[in-house]
Amino acid sequence: MRLHELNVREIAAGVRARKFSAVEVFDDCLDRSVACEGKVAALITTTVDVGRSQARRIDERLSKGEDPGPLAGVPVVLKDNMCTRGVRTTAGSRILGDWAPPYDATVWRLLQEAGAVLLGKANMDEFAMGNTTSTSAFGPTANPWDLTRVPGGSSGGSAAVVSAGYVPFSLGSDTGGSIRQPASYCGICGLKPTYGMVSRYGLIAYGSSLDQIGPFTRNVEDMALVMGILARQDPRDSTSTCGTRGECFSKLSDGMKGKRVALVRDFKEFTLDQGIAEAMKKTIAALESAGAEMVEVSLPTVGRYAVACYYAIAASEAHTNLARFDGVRYGYTVDSSTGLKDMFQEVRSFGFGGEVKSRIIAGTCLTEPVRSEQYYVAATRVRTLIAREFSEAFQNADCILQPVTPSLAPKIGEADEDAMKGYESDLYTLPVNMAGLPGYSFFTGHYDAGLGLPVGLQLVGPRWSDGELLNMGFALEKALGAPVIAKAGL
Amino acid sequence: MKLDSDAVRAIALEGRLSLTDAELAGAVRYINNFLEMVDRFKELDLTNVEPFAFAESVECPLREDVVGVFPNGKEILAARSTGTGPAFTVPRIMGE
Repeated sequence: MRLHELNVREIAAGVRARKFSAVEVFDDCLDRSVACEGKVAALITTTVDVGRSQARRIDERLSKGEDPGPLAGVPVVLKDNMCTRGVRTTAGSRILGDWAPPYDATVWRLLQEAGAVLLGKANMDEFAMGNTTSTSAFGPTANPWDLTRVPGGSSGGSAAVVSAGYVPFSLGSDTGGSIRQPASYCGICGLKPTYGMVSRYGLIAYGSSLDQIGPFTRNVEDMALVMGILARQDPRDSTSTCGTRGECFSKLSDGMKGKRVALVRDFKEFTLDQGIAEAMKKTIAALESAGAEMVEVSLPTVGRYAVACYYAIAASEAHTNLARFDGVRYGYTVDSSTGLKDMFQEVRSFGFGGEVKSRIIAGTCLTEPVRSEQYYVAATRVRTLIAREFSEAFQNADCILQPVTPSLAPKIGEADEDAMKGYESDLYTLPVNMAGLPGYSFFTGHYDAGLGLPVGLQLVGPRWSDGELLNMGFALEKALGAPVIAKAGL
Repeated sequence: MKLDSDAVRAIALEGRLSLTDAELAGAVRYINNFLEMVDRFKELDLTNVEPFAFAESVECPLREDVVGVFPNGKEILAARSTGTGPAFTVPRIMGE
């Protein structure tokens, strides 16, 4: 077995025991990424010098008898909307040019303190707006299981690098499904933590009341290990309310006896691809065998209004957050001799791609005084109903089992003419963000009808039930099997 | 009510975006489909429903309100797009 095939715990244990060096691990992962990158195109920036120098420092610390931490020498890739001091950070957009942040995102600081080393920054839909990774200014990423298909998005690059074996874990961000959907398409594990569990300081904002950072891994134990490092309160993010709840990741338990797992009655009328419907049946059988009780809950407001509510809020927040990209403080700029307004317009019109412009226009439209009450404020009231509906559902269930998407990964370029139809496919993921809940996307196996594509499902729980979701994921992984590395066209 | 191309162009300008004719045609289609989608809210009685504020019932922890020095001031200024010296420089504003 080559070093890049090892998981997070195996690499950290091997480096700490000096069975192999952090530099050897980094170089083998780098070799794998170089071999695959021509086909997968998952990275915007490969950090060869930064990463190797960090790996060298880990080895030096070990040679002095120091402990570099629980992620000693483990290579990681970060979605390119997380600030990395001195390393280009683009958010998948050309408007930031070669901007290198003067500070680290809190998540990257925590990973460095735990001994992780940076292999690169992952491709993503521009400013995290999209679900295919095709709106990136750097071109599309391919699904490592089928290079003609999308890896999902917006964290498609982060999912592809773990699926293809560049690194054993990566970080993505999830505003409406951007971790869970690509995890599902790429056949790996992805956690969208409870809103407030992980600091967003240094994350380039899209929808601030919805954005949450979380990990991708190839097994649930690695997920728990990484979450144990990331889940902590950060005084630099006032929405960070984790407290000591990160301790829930310290030990996994696969006991399912007496757990009530719910199916959503209102989702039954929606069509699912055969592979996903079969995965639902297989997973229900596995849960029942493990001792869980299947129940039903009702989410009628979610089923009918969640998509409209989400896009109204996300576009409104995006239009505000993206106002800061003006060509003055960082990134791309133009000659400003004709005045400030012209400069703003020129910079933004050239710098932003089509999807981002569309959402800025939608957000501007919905928040204008003449329409604000009718649309934006109405959406925030609908959101209250959605959050209440989930709270009531969790009176009768410990978690909800549901699809991540209605269909398997589509072909690259197979987008709907009508963007709203594409938005409808996010129905299963985005209500989770609106209520600030955790959602764990897990691998169930491969669909064999000529595709071989992986199929993922998700567990959704009450706020702060992240550890409990991983416990259930642990039981399911034992029953259904853990993800494996994709060939990525090699 | 559907928005025409003049209205959409004006909204885009408020968002500091100028659109080509092709972009404008796409934006008109997009924004009208978007408004049709969010018009669904009219089916609901939202009287007495509070706007959603924050998922957590406890108050957000705030830092002490004291002035501090950001440690990387020089790096921040070095990363700017325009201007030199110890400040950001913006183009002419008066008369805009």
